[in-house]
Amino acid sequence: MSKKAIVVNKELSNDIVLQVDNLSIAFGGLKAVDNLSFNIKKNEIFGLIGPNGAGKTTVFNCITQFYRPNNGEVYFRTKRDKVVNLVGRPVYRIIRLGLVRTFQNVELIRELSVLDNLLVGAHIKYKTGFISHMLKTKKARKEELDNRKKAIEVLKYLGIDHLKDFLAAGLSYGILKRVELGRALMSDPNLLILDEPAAGLNETETEQLAETIRKIRDDFNSSILLVEHDMRLVMNICDRICAISFGKLLAIGTPKEIQSNKNVQEAYLGKDD
Amino acid sequence: MIFSGIETGSFYALAALGIIIIFRTSITTNFAQGVIGMFNAFMATEFYYRFGYSTVESIILAIVTSIIMGILIDILIIRHARKVNPVSKQIITLGLIMIIMGITPMIFGTTNRDLKRIIPSGQIDFGSLHISYNSILNIILVFIIMFVLFIVLQYTKWGLAVRVTASNEYTARLMGVPTKMVTMIIWALAASLSTLASIMLAPSNSVEVNMMGGVQVNALIACVLGGFQTFYGPVIAAYIIGISSNLIVFYISDTWGEPILYIFILIFILIKPNGLIGKKLVKKV
Amino acid sequence: MAIISKKIIKDIFFKTSNILPKPYVNYLLFGIILVILPYIVNGSTLLTIGSVIVYAIAALGLNLLLGYSGLISLGTAGFMGLSSYFASYLTKDLNFPFFASLLISVFIPVILGLLVGLVSLRIEGYYLAIATLAVAEILRRIFEKFIAFTGGYVGKTADYPNILNVFMLDREGTYIILVIFLIVIMILTHNLIQSPTGRALLTMRGSDAAAQAMGIDILKYRLIAFALATLYASIAGVLYVHFNELTYPTIWNLGLSLNILAIIIIGGIRSISGTVLGAFVVYSFSDLILKEIPFIGEIPGLSNIIFGVLIIVIILFYPQGLIQIFKNILKSIFIRKDVKASE
Repeated sequence: MSKKAIVVNKELSNDIVLQVDNLSIAFGGLKAVDNLSFNIKKNEIFGLIGPNGAGKTTVFNCITQFYRPNNGEVYFRTKRDKVVNLVGRPVYRIIRLGLVRTFQNVELIRELSVLDNLLVGAHIKYKTGFISHMLKTKKARKEELDNRKKAIEVLKYLGIDHLKDFLAAGLSYGILKRVELGRALMSDPNLLILDEPAAGLNETETEQLAETIRKIRDDFNSSILLVEHDMRLVMNICDRICAISFGKLLAIGTPKEIQSNKNVQEAYLGKDD
Repeated sequence: MIFSGIETGSFYALAALGIIIIFRTSITTNFAQGVIGMFNAFMATEFYYRFGYSTVESIILAIVTSIIMGILIDILIIRHARKVNPVSKQIITLGLIMIIMGITPMIFGTTNRDLKRIIPSGQIDFGSLHISYNSILNIILVFIIMFVLFIVLQYTKWGLAVRVTASNEYTARLMGVPTKMVTMIIWALAASLSTLASIMLAPSNSVEVNMMGGVQVNALIACVLGGFQTFYGPVIAAYIIGISSNLIVFYISDTWGEPILYIFILIFILIKPNGLIGKKLVKKV
Repeated sequence: MAIISKKIIKDIFFKTSNILPKPYVNYLLFGIILVILPYIVNGSTLLTIGSVIVYAIAALGLNLLLGYSGLISLGTAGFMGLSSYFASYLTKDLNFPFFASLLISVFIPVILGLLVGLVSLRIEGYYLAIATLAVAEILRRIFEKFIAFTGGYVGKTADYPNILNVFMLDREGTYIILVIFLIVIMILTHNLIQSPTGRALLTMRGSDAAAQAMGIDILKYRLIAFALATLYASIAGVLYVHFNELTYPTIWNLGLSLNILAIIIIGGIRSISGTVLGAFVVYSFSDLILKEIPFIGEIPGLSNIIFGVLIIVIILFYPQGLIQIFKNILKSIFIRKDVKASE
């Protein structure tokens, strides 16, 4: 589909899942992301932080191709251990490579039950087309049954299997966040991108979330990239953190290094209200 | 040939401008634009034949009724559909078509009527070319209307209010722009533009229920061709469609002229999806 | 009506709640009722109910398109007309057997629809309505002017279908064919809605972003929805011409497309039973009820006004349509009865 070669001659060292190189995007004259580079290692929980309007979600959108970056490359090691450049690929192709995201303002389908919402996450797993679906062929039924089983397992894993038949419309924000996480997990990602997973959660919920994210990393053998405002959560669970301000890189390092970094402190204190 | 194309184009341009200002302020493609004009063309004939007004008076009165109609549609329906999604709004305008097409024969009967020209006779001759005074009047009138409207949109406080509402209604309301008033005026304006188009068209056809079908389709296609992002794109496209359809009808085929033109436009849209003057907008996720 | 037990009524109208393991039973029951309906009500209503069925099939397709992918087509009548002419031309002029003609007559509009969809849907959803309006306009001109194929304003005729040279159907037999088609299409649509494709369509409608992030190719699914809408409309067109034995240009106008839109809005968007209910309301209302009322029934355009107003009122105040009101009423009746019975 994309004009760029499927396998890029870019060499990524074996432990790197995502490599962002010189990423830039501007809206109008405003540079939202400016020459940003970082990488994420296998089984790493990587945090992206920055003051409000620093361009964090824009970075996500550039990685997942919701926005076309003006400049720079995004190399990704797929599930099949191939290195590909994501830039220029259609958005809906990204998940097939093993990269899946959640949204800042939960994007679930209100008319669907929790279980059905999870099955939407398994969309790429279905091999049958709409004609087999209309005729309800044996293969289509088996596929549906298998995915249903898996969805229930994921719901159990997240501790919300008792809600499987509820419509998404009536559930609390905390639950919805978890449903969305479940939907993302249905595709067996090797990189999970979470956009403010703790936004709108209370303290206990946030603690549970920290636990869940770690568990997911271990059980699903996946790397996690997250944007978050809750500093305690970020410092608590992230292996490494990338701090940006006005789309520019401030520092990359362990939570400790970031906390003691002068630039980061300035950006936060200087901008803090 | 080109001249009558300009005349046809100006009917399309009036309707297209009506559609685009509604699209920009109410976020819906108004499919009822044409039938509103049709209804008020009937009103004009009513004023002329039943109440004995002169042609010009009847036309002015019909414009007045169209303004009232536009305001009523806004107050009774559109205003309440603020929270309805764009698709449902489109369906509402389709419902309007059904209502107006139902009411028209009920009030005016099912026989076709005719409407006189403003300037009944007289023409300028350029060799073999004859151009009636009335056509010249139509063309000039539409040019003046367009010119005035663009000046108003671009340089006055009201124009600013419309443009602000068009770019973001919610923010506009927060900023104190009377968006309710703006959409009401827009609907009244659109209704009167369409009525003007139907009245100008009427003398060469006749006043009947389906008289504006072609204008409606061509005006919508003008919006596609010109792009939905600017006010002037559809207007320019409307003239292009008017002129080229006249040329194709004359030189290639009487029956298949318009279909051929549509196919050309389809191909053009394939190459340039956002139209002649299109800007691609980045959607925020 | 008393013959039909409460249980059956309950089954029919609550089928979406999956009380029964096999919802098909409800559809089949409904089919049986449809087959006997003309005989218990009145012989002369066969034509009306037949038309209701034809329009219900087209409306089911439009409901898939509008309800599940949020797109409007104004070409329903055009596509119906196109397939009706093909069916007439193939069976009458070229002596094709019914099923072969059906296949070809349906295939061509679908290909045309796919082309139109491919061009317009790449841009914005609302372009489809405009593109289909233009296509309908072109088709109408073809129906009127391409006389060798369409017979011009006079139109073309067709016979009741002759199935495999074994069943030479009459009007009643053709009516049963219509019912079979409707029921099969209802079941297939039901399956589709419950399937991954149905979920993908709903997701698209709810959130473009979520759909794409989950790997749903929006253009592909929009095209599927539009192709199905065209397919259903074309089937309806073929059935129309064989049931009415005639097709001519003025039937296939914008008014028909709007009426089919009215069916789904009034009946109930995203509801199979709602669509069928809507078809009954829109197409039997003016034929069976309105015309019986003295004076008022004579007013031209009255039914148009009523449906136009209903569309707007339902969109503004009752977006789920009549089927929801119907279900609520039935529910309240049965639940009250159940409570009393348990006391």
